[in-house]
Amino acid sequence: MSVVAWLIVAVVVIVVALVAFVVIRRRSRRGGVIATPSRKGTPGATGRTTGDPKP
Amino acid sequence: MTLLMTASEINGLPVVTVHGGEDVAEVRDVLYDPAAGRLVGLTLNKRGFLAGRCREVLPAESIHAIGRDAVMVVDDSAMVEPDAAPQEMAHPPANRNVLGNDVLTESGVSLGTVRDLVVVVGGAGEVVGYRIDKADGRPGYIPLPAQLAVSGSALVVPEVTESFVTDDLVGLGAAVDSFRARLGLP
Repeated sequence: MSVVAWLIVAVVVIVVALVAFVVIRRRSRRGGVIATPSRKGTPGATGRTTGDPKP
Repeated sequence: MTLLMTASEINGLPVVTVHGGEDVAEVRDVLYDPAAGRLVGLTLNKRGFLAGRCREVLPAESIHAIGRDAVMVVDDSAMVEPDAAPQEMAHPPANRNVLGNDVLTESGVSLGTVRDLVVVVGGAGEVVGYRIDKADGRPGYIPLPAQLAVSGSALVVPEVTESFVTDDLVGLGAAVDSFRARLGLP
């Protein structure tokens, strides 16, 4: 392969790596909505956790 | 002035100081207490296109105001180290993100999946409901307090919640009041 061809491959690889880096970095900045455990130490309005038996 | 906003509208907002007008951070996660029905605080990203997570967190008590375009704090001392923050937000549990959770009634009927949280801003940060994608694909809103339990994958709500699912935010306001009256809550 000629030098020009190698250069083109190198540029393509670098661009793909940069794009992947930016996409991953941007995704890692994406937040969410997190339900904190209640101060009583049990989650949920009635203090029951999923799977607990009904009172 | 009170304003209804969804958590996804708050995510990504800049955090700006009232004294100085500095743009000090960006909102990453909205943390709320499902039992108390209120915002607990916000986790933050550093400013900048590719900047990473900010170590400091912003407790709800330190927020001056949440507006449509920015979260206002008095100055950057409002952002505190996790160790100085309220216990429930010092190390937010990553496996309790409610977005995408199934909403199930006690009898096992799926009402849809959680798409967002509806918050009254301008006051104490009261959380009034969830925006859901109903089983038929259309959006809907359910009032809070409605869930009996929150886990990493599901919200379990009382049977009666099914009759309080509304199609829009305007309907949610009325539904919250009648839902609370039905449950005997203040």
